[in-house]
Amino acid sequence: MKKILAIIPAVLFGLASCEKEIDIDLNDSDPQIVIEGAITDQPGPYFVAISRSVIFSIPNNYPPVSGASVTITDNGGNTDVLTEVQAGLYQTNTTVGVPGKTYNLNISIDQIDYYATSTMPQKVDLDSLQFEPWLGPNSESNYVALPVFTDPATLGNNYRFLMTINGVKDKRYYVYNDIIGNGLINSRPIFSPDIDLNLDDTVEFEMRCIDVATYVYFNTLSQLSGGGMGVTPANPPNNITGGRALGIFSAYTTQTLTQRVQ
Amino acid sequence: MAKIILTSFALLYTVNLLYAQQRYTVSGTVKDETTGETLTGISIYTFNYLEMGTSSNSYGFYSLTLPEGDYDLIFSAIGYETDTVRITLKSNMKLDKSLSEDHFELQEVVISVNNKGNSIRKANIGLEKIDVKEVENLPVIFGEKDILKTIQLMPGVKSAGEGNSGFFVRGGSTDQNLILLDEAPVYNASHLFGFFSTFNSDALKDVEIIKGNSPAQYGGRLSSVLDVVMKEGNNQKYTVSGGLGLISSKLSVEGPIQKGKSSFIVSGRRTYADLFLRATEDFKDNSLYFYDLNAKVNIWINESNRLFFSGYFGRDVLGFGDTFGAEWGNGTGTIRWNSLVSPKLFSNTSLIYSNYDYDINLHSGSSEFNVNSTIRDWNLKQDFEYTLNYKHKIRFGFNNIYHTIIPRRFEGDIVIDGEKNNRYGLENAIYFNNTHQVLGNLTIDYGLRISSYSLIGEDTYNVYDNGTLTDRIYLANGEFGKAYYNLEPRLQFSYMLSNRNSIKGGYARNTQNLHLLTNSTSSSPIDQWVGSSYNIKPEISDQVSLGYFHNFSNNKYQFSVEGYYKDLKNQIDYKNGADLVSVDDVESELLFGKGRAYGAELMLKKTTGKLTGWIGYTLSRTEKKIDGINNNDWYLARQDRTHDLSVVAMYELNDSWSLSGVFVYNTGNAVTFPSGKYNMEGTSVFYYTERNGYRMPAYHRLDLGATYTKPHQGRFESSWNFGIYNAYGRENAYTITFENHPDDPTRTRVLQTSLFRWVPSITYNFKF
Repeated sequence: MKKILAIIPAVLFGLASCEKEIDIDLNDSDPQIVIEGAITDQPGPYFVAISRSVIFSIPNNYPPVSGASVTITDNGGNTDVLTEVQAGLYQTNTTVGVPGKTYNLNISIDQIDYYATSTMPQKVDLDSLQFEPWLGPNSESNYVALPVFTDPATLGNNYRFLMTINGVKDKRYYVYNDIIGNGLINSRPIFSPDIDLNLDDTVEFEMRCIDVATYVYFNTLSQLSGGGMGVTPANPPNNITGGRALGIFSAYTTQTLTQRVQ
Repeated sequence: MAKIILTSFALLYTVNLLYAQQRYTVSGTVKDETTGETLTGISIYTFNYLEMGTSSNSYGFYSLTLPEGDYDLIFSAIGYETDTVRITLKSNMKLDKSLSEDHFELQEVVISVNNKGNSIRKANIGLEKIDVKEVENLPVIFGEKDILKTIQLMPGVKSAGEGNSGFFVRGGSTDQNLILLDEAPVYNASHLFGFFSTFNSDALKDVEIIKGNSPAQYGGRLSSVLDVVMKEGNNQKYTVSGGLGLISSKLSVEGPIQKGKSSFIVSGRRTYADLFLRATEDFKDNSLYFYDLNAKVNIWINESNRLFFSGYFGRDVLGFGDTFGAEWGNGTGTIRWNSLVSPKLFSNTSLIYSNYDYDINLHSGSSEFNVNSTIRDWNLKQDFEYTLNYKHKIRFGFNNIYHTIIPRRFEGDIVIDGEKNNRYGLENAIYFNNTHQVLGNLTIDYGLRISSYSLIGEDTYNVYDNGTLTDRIYLANGEFGKAYYNLEPRLQFSYMLSNRNSIKGGYARNTQNLHLLTNSTSSSPIDQWVGSSYNIKPEISDQVSLGYFHNFSNNKYQFSVEGYYKDLKNQIDYKNGADLVSVDDVESELLFGKGRAYGAELMLKKTTGKLTGWIGYTLSRTEKKIDGINNNDWYLARQDRTHDLSVVAMYELNDSWSLSGVFVYNTGNAVTFPSGKYNMEGTSVFYYTERNGYRMPAYHRLDLGATYTKPHQGRFESSWNFGIYNAYGRENAYTITFENHPDDPTRTRVLQTSLFRWVPSITYNFKF
């Protein structure tokens, strides 16, 4: 809702506003460890990527972190020591992603230990994908995607949606929880501020059932991507403990439907 | 030595003599001769007993007690011709006085230093009065006269952003301002996301802002009281006035119901920017407008009793075709009864209603989705003003407010959340205030306000400890829950060093039990008001201030410097990544801490002559310390601006042309920018090191205006108002955003968005 409202002043004063790229003198920051790990209900292997942050003004080359010791254990007693398959990218060998299971990630880099835990939620099926015409603020008739699924009766389900439109990934973060629509058939529209959905576009639509830490993480990122009108920016809270690190470790279920807009 | 004792005796003797004489009270109402509007702040005094002078209150009422005798009673104020009435006081008497407007305003008016309305003498510190007529000619964006934009030009009051009617007073946030329209609190004082204020200046009579050192009759907000009084309506003749502007038009009608006894005013305004939008092919199905309506009736029942009915209703409407519709707005209503109980006792009773709500509809295919919320108050206020003698003016009274908050609800065919209960709260206050003229040159104003806030069921309240639910408290329907009590002492003094300069100081404690939850950097109509609860404690502010006031060149110039220090407790902030919309209980997302604000405000004002205006400068700092933010260290509040300068000039060229200019400069807001970046899912994400560690670029702007007043043609008066906003086209940063380069995936970039360069405006005003 906030996002919809946020575009209104932009529309109102679109004529009067002007945008330009500027240079800003930003402070340098020390490189931070960044951990991005995922386990899904699809067959493995799964990956954990470790890199470092860089200062803002340089190109997007993120130095990989090699030589880390990376282990994943689950609450079924399995231990998996991951293999570094390319610089900074660690691959599982035996881990199997099963809904309901809890996974512990254990990383050691330069004598500093990092821990993270994530429980894969039970899968909620994406029943169908619908498209409905949506008259945007500039009266252009576009389409909006509506994933249809039945939220389970128990409160506490969190979802993330990802769209690829005609092969172009929509980089926005769409996350929802069941505070609204708990236990009901949900078909909430997903508005993409960046990419217009037109008739005959091919949409690859992924629904993930995520745990609450992952929800909070991506929800925070989505608030920050709202432009300057949004919240005071901060690093999203994550589930990594021990040493200080950015990123998230997430066990989730996934289901993708590919459909043409009609 | 003997001489001194003798003199003292002589002095004592005179004083005794003075007391021995019989005293009588002259009281009444001061009005404008042509319109019949009652006049506030008119000085009433006599040269025989200068120190006993008084001034009319906000209803035009005055009471002056003098020893028996013959007097020349002087009525005077800026903008009005000074008038003298010879009276023989040998019993209590009633004297209503009508003053005529000073038509020689352009000439230099020498204001008597003995003028009691003189700002030097009054104990009020941190008070700014806005002359609605004076600011009429100032250039404003879109030519839309706006008192909220004008008060932002006062030292210590800062704009919440480009073109925004929201304001920060001495480091406080926008929800810490008590905005009163005929005593009714206005919960959202802006239209169209802050670009316009809800106040149609055609309907306004007086505007006053008190920056934290409010007397005890005010309470409920930490930073300021903005007291806006609507016109009463001309009770002598009918007048119609209006204005046609580029984006809005307005019309006011006022006149007597029964000549001299009762009058009405109705004033309406509507924007029509959307009509232009609709004319374009792209936007033809959209609507975007606001309107507001002010109405007031006042009736003199008899010489001592008067009734007022006033109301405001405003609405913003926004829609895209039939898929999206939103509406929001305030409604207020006030019934007031003024009564002159005795020549020395004035009473005002008010019953006030205020309401703010929004309603958003989304229609998509076959599904309907609705979001709405309301805050509604019933408010009873009783104020007494008792003039004990010239040394003591006592105010006391009480106030009860019953708040109903209907929390944000999502309703629709498909998605319905657990129905949230309405929340009720009762806010009570009693107060006492005495303005004590201790010596001829020392006035002390002291008072106490005792306030309370109680939760009332039915609802279940969650109790959190650091965001973890620890208890749930159920209150049955009508059951009283947690109550907070606060003692709020208030003290102000003014010590006159001479007729030209004075020192003033003050201390005030203010508390606040209603809080606006918004974690976004700009205001939105859907921000949620919440009352104090088991988790949210009343916000508390303690402010001390000290100032030096100096008038020179026959009071043509007024100079003041004020310093303040404010200590804030129970301040509210939000967890990183707080979700205030789709969370079951927003209170779980809150963090609490403290704040401090301090600064110095300088003002140099020229009040008379062809050239009038002021220069205001503020040097200040505002910081917060919240557990869970910025490693629990102090950080700058977003509204912290080190330097803030306003220069306002108005020049009367001749009878038909007047020119005006406004220049503002301020340090950019304290903001959070990234200090690094990292990779997440193939996209660059930004890394932040400290809260509000950066600054937006400095903001500055020059606005120019010119007004052409056509010579009167009979009763018909008209004028043209031309303006240009941001005359030298400064690209002030409205937002600075950091993003992945859309075309080059190896880069990130910084984008600056600016609004409003060279915005011209033209308005035609008429009156007959």
